[in-house]
Amino acid sequence: MSWTLLRGTFTQRRTSILWYSVSLIAYSWLMTWFYPQIGGGQYADLIENMPPEMLALFGGTEVDFATLGGYFQTEYLGLMWMLIVASALIIFAGKAFAGEIGAGTMEFVLAQPISRVRFAITRVVALLIYIVVLAAASFVPIALFGPSYDINLSAAVFGKLFAFGCMFMFAVGGFSLLMSSLFRDGGRAGAITAGVMGTFWIADLVSNVSEAAEVIDPINIVTYWQPGKIINGDAVAPEAWWIYGVIGVVSLIASVLVFRRRDVA
Amino acid sequence: MDVITTRGLTKFYGKTRGVESLSMSVPAGSVYGFLGPNGAGKTTTIRCLLGMLKPTAGDAEVLGERITLDGAALRRRIGYVAGEVNLYERQTGRWHLDYVAGFRGGRGVLEAELLERFDFDPGRKVKELSKGNKQKLALILGMAHDPELLILDEPTSGLDPLNQEAVYAVIDERVAAGRTVFLSSHVLSEVERVCSRVGIIRSGRLAAEEDVRSLLGKRLRDLTVTFARPVQPALLDDVIGVDSVMVLGETQLTARIKGDAIDAVIKRLASVEISDLRISHASLEDVFLEFYRHTDADDEPRAVAGREEA
Repeated sequence: MSWTLLRGTFTQRRTSILWYSVSLIAYSWLMTWFYPQIGGGQYADLIENMPPEMLALFGGTEVDFATLGGYFQTEYLGLMWMLIVASALIIFAGKAFAGEIGAGTMEFVLAQPISRVRFAITRVVALLIYIVVLAAASFVPIALFGPSYDINLSAAVFGKLFAFGCMFMFAVGGFSLLMSSLFRDGGRAGAITAGVMGTFWIADLVSNVSEAAEVIDPINIVTYWQPGKIINGDAVAPEAWWIYGVIGVVSLIASVLVFRRRDVA
Repeated sequence: MDVITTRGLTKFYGKTRGVESLSMSVPAGSVYGFLGPNGAGKTTTIRCLLGMLKPTAGDAEVLGERITLDGAALRRRIGYVAGEVNLYERQTGRWHLDYVAGFRGGRGVLEAELLERFDFDPGRKVKELSKGNKQKLALILGMAHDPELLILDEPTSGLDPLNQEAVYAVIDERVAAGRTVFLSSHVLSEVERVCSRVGIIRSGRLAAEEDVRSLLGKRLRDLTVTFARPVQPALLDDVIGVDSVMVLGETQLTARIKGDAIDAVIKRLASVEISDLRISHASLEDVFLEFYRHTDADDEPRAVAGREEA
């Protein structure tokens, strides 16, 4: 790994990292603050009057919507949070390889004495650090501000939620980085990842109301994203951890191997 | 000893030819000019040498090492200035100098001197720099570590004549210090000024390799003379090395002059009264068409250098 490249990567992306982190902190705090006002009984009444198709739109039907976990999954983590972190990771990963090639700066960096493998591994490490930063910005405010608003996450629940969030982002970020290693235009790499994520989201939506789309469920990373269960103290499907882990690991290794052999100018 | 050797180096982008069957060698301690029009394959060749592009066929050695896509150790010994300068727009020149120093394990020995010689302010962001100043920064970044081999892709593009001369002076000094320079250019006069040997590339293929003195003999000049009073249209007809003579009216004449014929032409013109005289160097493409024509039959490059008509 190259410390120079790692420092450089975060310096170049500092504005984007700052904005996404501040936005997530603010959003998480906002949703925590809202809970006593719309959570509990009133929220349960509201949910009961909604058609099941609409409930499905906000993150599946595996969590009881009237619970704390149901509230967070429906109002935040099941849709908006996914959109925010996916866009953050797609932009970050898109610039890691394809963006640098498209902008011509890859030629400048690779004229320096740094091997491609070292370059790629450093970009993988940068992505992993960014995932942890995004997870911290997302979940620490809930744990930190929660007690003031009748939300008390145990250390175990918080740790599990944090780790599960990291694993989801690991899969999305890994796939984004793989696309970035395949193309020479960060926009195209990002568009493909966004398209795949959109397809998964639609498939998850449809599978909630129709069996036709259930065929994608075993690999649908959106379907496996059930943070509400963890918040409620329940367990998510064990295969969710595996699917996220396998997609992330395979994608990141593949991205390093692809980058090692490709034309970079 | 040769610093760069290519053997049948070929790079295709799909069906598009970048460079094909390029075999050449660059001797140590020389300034080798890689001359060709835009799109000839100069940059493709350089990117293959630096391991940024994977050759479709053939191979090459640089500083005694076979080129690979992962040659970090080799690139430590090379300084590279890209033809199209692409740096991080939101960062300063100082940040770029620190960045390169981080990769290379310390500041360049020539950094301070080059900053002063090019009169460059490293405190400004790249997006605030003019094209010429970006080029200066790229040159400083590429040359500051006093590399054994300098690969310069059209290094004076965007520079004013004063800074062009500063670049040429640095090149002269580095070569005097035992370094080797590989310089690509589409400007004939630039190659003539700094290079000792020249490889001429056209349409992805090496058309000829020559000493720069030989190249000087292939200069083409376009002459336009306005006479003070009418002269004989055949005034230059018997001067060796003059062709395409055109008489415009009674007092104006244009002609193309090859190589050293300029001396004889000036002496002939001295015999008549002239009111205006204009001499310009022909374009590189004209020189190619005159001396390095292809034969369509076998599509092989054929240098017809030395065919210079008497």
